[in-house]
Amino acid sequence: MTSEPYLSARLRRAIAEDPRTTELGVRVTVRGDHVLLSGDVACEERRAELEAVVHEIAPDLRVMDDVRVVSVAEPEGSEELR
Amino acid sequence: MIRIAAVGDVHLGADARGRMRPALENVGEHADVLLLAGDLTRHGTLDEAQVVAEEFADLPVPVVAVLGNHDHHDDKPVEVAKLLSDSGLHVLEGDAVVFEVGGERIGIAGVKGFGGGFAGKCGSNFGEREMKAFVGHTIGIADALRAALHSIEADIRVALTHYSPVPDTLRGEPPEIYPFLGSYLLGEAIDATGTDLAIHGHAHFGTEHGMTPGGVRVRNVAQPIIRAAYTVYHVEPMVKAAVAG
Repeated sequence: MTSEPYLSARLRRAIAEDPRTTELGVRVTVRGDHVLLSGDVACEERRAELEAVVHEIAPDLRVMDDVRVVSVAEPEGSEELR
Repeated sequence: MIRIAAVGDVHLGADARGRMRPALENVGEHADVLLLAGDLTRHGTLDEAQVVAEEFADLPVPVVAVLGNHDHHDDKPVEVAKLLSDSGLHVLEGDAVVFEVGGERIGIAGVKGFGGGFAGKCGSNFGEREMKAFVGHTIGIADALRAALHSIEADIRVALTHYSPVPDTLRGEPPEIYPFLGSYLLGEAIDATGTDLAIHGHAHFGTEHGMTPGGVRVRNVAQPIIRAAYTVYHVEPMVKAAVAG
């Protein structure tokens, strides 16, 4: 069985380097039988792609997906720099 | 006063086509210029660059962009920049643009930037060819940023990069990866040129606010941090007078 730090590193590299995901801004945390994904992506489709890539490498782990889709709303207010 | 809208790390592709457009079409109500701090695409392909071009073309304010590391992944940065330029964006890499807004001039100098780390905790231009190439890339880019900032004649001078010029705006990222997120050489160039504001992206888990050792405000506008289509800064030319003392 691969130890957690190595598995975590493999998963993180996979989601950074796999052309389906190429996400460097997603955190991967392995704890026992669970893998937690967190961070922000640009649209809903990319959350499913992340889960698919992680599942391929670690099919026995339960994926907990805390990844959020980033807001593209107009800004509220502004910052004054004086 | 000049109103600057900014966002980085939008990572557009066909799957995100049109998502930002409604907010962008109103950008003229919020700002006089829109800055894009790199990582406009996911893989740096021309198809993705076309999505970026459609998203940011024909807006009511000038759009100024630098590329990020994702925009280099397909090894076509020149072609990506040309496609965006042909669509009306100002794509900077070691050069600058100046716009006049209400009688005041804003100058923006841009580079992608690169890593290397921060003072006392950084790589050196020494040893293996690969290490010298890594640090040498940053040195060349920082020199280009310094020259571009220096060339600007305007009331407000802004540095636009993808990588960070300071560690302040990286807080929240693991300190071990700071050398991959920015370089003090960019900050040194900013401090040497009377710059008023530095805008960057790249660090999704960082923080928005920081300052260079020379007292220049730094803002990390990576979209996961600002949580909006763009954020807006109102900048007075007075800032420079105050810093200059």
